[in-house]
Amino acid sequence: MVYYSVSRYNEDMFLAGIMSWWYGNGLRLRLGMIGGRIARTNDYFSIGLLASTLFSPYRQISAGKVSGPLSLQLRAFVDRLISRLIGAVVRTFMIVFGVVAISLQAIGGAVVVFFWLLIPLFPVIGLLLAVIGWVPPWL
Amino acid sequence: MGTTVAVEVFNYRSARAEKARIGTNLTKSWVMVLGVCMVLLLVAGGAFLVIQWPIGWALIGFSVIPAMIVEWKNGELANLAPVKNSTSIDGVLSGDILGLLSHKPTPYEVATIVGQVYGGQFFGARFGIGTGFLQEIASQEAKDIDGLWQEARTIAQQTGSSTLSAVVLLVALVRRHPKYEILLAHLQLSNEDLLQGIAWHNHLKDLIIQQAIPKRTGGVARDWSFGWIPTLSRFGHNLSQGIGNHGLLSVKLEAHEEALEQLIATLGAKGSRNAVLVGPTGVGKTEIIHALAEKLLDAAAAVPADLKFRQIFLLDASALIAAAPGRGELETLIMHLLGEAYSAKNIIICLDNAQLFFEEGLGSVDLSNVLLPILEAGRLRIILTMDEQRYLQISGRNAQLTNALSRINVAAASRAETIKVMQDQLITFEFRHDVTYMYQALSEAYRLSERYIHDLAMPGRALKLLEAAAGYAEGGLVTAHSVQQAIEKTMDVKVGVASGDAEREKLLNLETLIHARMINQTRAVAVVSDALRRARAGVRNQNRPIGTFLFLGPTGVGKTELAKALAEVYFGGEDRIIRLDMNEYVSSDDVSRLIADGADDSTSLTARVMKQPFSVILLDEIEKAHPNVLTTFLQLLDEGILRDVKNREVSFRDAIIIATSNAGADRIREQIERGLDIEQFEGQFIDELISTNQFRPEFLNRFDEIVMFRPLKKDELIQVVDLMLADVNKTLALQKVSVKVSDEAKVYLVDSGYDPRLGARPMRRVVQRAVENTVAKQMLSGTVEPGSTIEISLEEVQKILGNKLAADAISADLTLQR
Repeated sequence: MVYYSVSRYNEDMFLAGIMSWWYGNGLRLRLGMIGGRIARTNDYFSIGLLASTLFSPYRQISAGKVSGPLSLQLRAFVDRLISRLIGAVVRTFMIVFGVVAISLQAIGGAVVVFFWLLIPLFPVIGLLLAVIGWVPPWL
Repeated sequence: MGTTVAVEVFNYRSARAEKARIGTNLTKSWVMVLGVCMVLLLVAGGAFLVIQWPIGWALIGFSVIPAMIVEWKNGELANLAPVKNSTSIDGVLSGDILGLLSHKPTPYEVATIVGQVYGGQFFGARFGIGTGFLQEIASQEAKDIDGLWQEARTIAQQTGSSTLSAVVLLVALVRRHPKYEILLAHLQLSNEDLLQGIAWHNHLKDLIIQQAIPKRTGGVARDWSFGWIPTLSRFGHNLSQGIGNHGLLSVKLEAHEEALEQLIATLGAKGSRNAVLVGPTGVGKTEIIHALAEKLLDAAAAVPADLKFRQIFLLDASALIAAAPGRGELETLIMHLLGEAYSAKNIIICLDNAQLFFEEGLGSVDLSNVLLPILEAGRLRIILTMDEQRYLQISGRNAQLTNALSRINVAAASRAETIKVMQDQLITFEFRHDVTYMYQALSEAYRLSERYIHDLAMPGRALKLLEAAAGYAEGGLVTAHSVQQAIEKTMDVKVGVASGDAEREKLLNLETLIHARMINQTRAVAVVSDALRRARAGVRNQNRPIGTFLFLGPTGVGKTELAKALAEVYFGGEDRIIRLDMNEYVSSDDVSRLIADGADDSTSLTARVMKQPFSVILLDEIEKAHPNVLTTFLQLLDEGILRDVKNREVSFRDAIIIATSNAGADRIREQIERGLDIEQFEGQFIDELISTNQFRPEFLNRFDEIVMFRPLKKDELIQVVDLMLADVNKTLALQKVSVKVSDEAKVYLVDSGYDPRLGARPMRRVVQRAVENTVAKQMLSGTVEPGSTIEISLEEVQKILGNKLAADAISADLTLQR
């Protein structure tokens, strides 16, 4: 059986192809990945939901109106109040954690994009530094 | 082909074609080498810098080049996007093909490349269309390539494929062959099947892409505002949790989509928000609940805000009944569970097989009184599932209950939908059984399950058979033959074309084999044998019984005997006869006995055929049946289908149906005695049967053949005596003794035993008495040694039977018994 092996390609096309992708669709893809990661973190911490339910009871055991003597109603009220307080504390912590995590991811993403833009220049920069002959003294 | 095709431009030097070649050159090995290079350059560069050599900067700088190439490969080259509205073929060809094409490709070259890449291998494994086959049918002329590209574009349009991928090109290669339909028929495939194959391939690719996309399911705080549900977590099954963790691998069925939309509308409405999914078992009611659970958890899905992120808890009736066996315990448990679900505020309860909650009996309990107020109040969302029959029963008993529920019907899946469901389920089956399924196995599973599996609806019944077929895989491949074997072994039927030498031999010599136990009636034997041969060669009409025959003639001429002979010779034994004496079906009420449910009456016709579809059905003395019974048989004879009392279709398409009748027997005898041949008065005789209202014309027209049995002649009766003696010798073989009767004695036996009214039937008793009595006496007197032959002469027979009068008495005795 005859098998077809790969054909030769135009070498000039290689450089043009990789560079046009790197600063075109490649960059868009990278930005999309960073955006997706931030969206996932946002979904995980569900900051919007946490904010809208900040003072809702946390993992409530009873719900609805409690009928009965005043002492029972009072107890239910206190129970719910404690539940709301615990909920507010836990949710506030989660909101803070979430905001920090998203911010860190956004900063990390910006760094990645910055390097992405610079990476094709690395060989030139490396050559320049080698020619200059500078080496960090602490190494 | 004779048709003019537009010239397609193939630009070998286009940017996309160049990229495709670069991508194809960058094999996995190259990517690995590049990775290693990058690490080496980084490490060496770092090391040089440590020893204060500035050249290290250059090495670190150059290390990004292999990394960039790998990124490019993964980001673009591995999956080259098509060029929008491209007029040039290289703009739409998939990268894996484009990268391997030469300057002037031929269809043969395309065929070879297609066989090398994933899509081609997919078709090779699933459809049996391999590289060799494609090379055989592909043209080696470069001028034929335009036609191929045109065909591929048409197919891509038909199947909604964005690129001309290997699968699209493969189908185009096949369709370019002038006799492709004949070629496909050899592989048990059609053009439609190939298009389904492309859709299947594209669907699998989509699934892989979808699985890679992370799902947004509400996040960590999603359930914090809702109630604590310890009891529900213990006794219920949280469908949402499983789906949230692993996702749901399912195909969106049109039949299910509609029910799902109705379900969401019902649950999201104001007022009563309870629904009941009604449909037969196996139709996919529980699958709809799973699909609902997935949709509610998807932040991007269009569902009412009130339903978003609600969790579905499945309560299994039998598990709950087992957990709370004591009196009143179950009611308490249910109330507790529902109370918890109500308090939690984010729960939808699903009662699967809900009929068990509404009926008294073994393994069930009537909770109508507990559940009805909750359903009527409508404050808790509840979904029930049950089958149509049970729903109607409950509705008849407790209309209030069904009024509190919104009914949603779930229809059985169509063929196309069932095939799609099977394709999705294969992923699980193949992993579980370590096999590969061919497409032909899927089609066959649909066809055969539709015919033989009655207790489930589609797609459940096809899936059941498909999974069973894994046990009959050949070399790890599940083919149509594996599916046939699975149904043949489980249902005890013959569904494939006769393939074994022994069976072929038996079919070709069927007449001889049948005549070994019955004399003459050659026409009857021939028509029955022909019907069987047609069936086993696969050329009969699949939507009718194997054969339907009406045997007419006097009693004792071999009508029933032929049915028995057929059952023994071909169907595997006389027990393969399902015999109905129609004189037991003389009133109109007897119809219900024919179609009774097997659970209530295992002897009903439908129950017996469900259990043993491959059989001879003998309707003895059909003329005695009530007209309503005969009307019931009309559809059976015409389409091979009879609906039982539960409205299930019972297939008679693997049975031979033989009805016998003595109607007009005297007339046949009279005409024969006048010296006429049957062929001479057959038509007139059948007209007489209709005109004398013995049979209705529409009933007689339903039979493939109406065969008249003529009374046996004297020389034939002597042959019958020989057959009877052979039977006696078979019995005596245990004693190592055999019997031989002289020719004169045989003539005497025929004269003594034959009665024109009863045919050969009394002769058997006469023969038995004459021969067996003689043998018994001789054996008791000790005159017979093992291994010896008892010779019976005319005198001995005369002595035993006394005289003709004694024989007549035997005949008369038999007449009275009848």
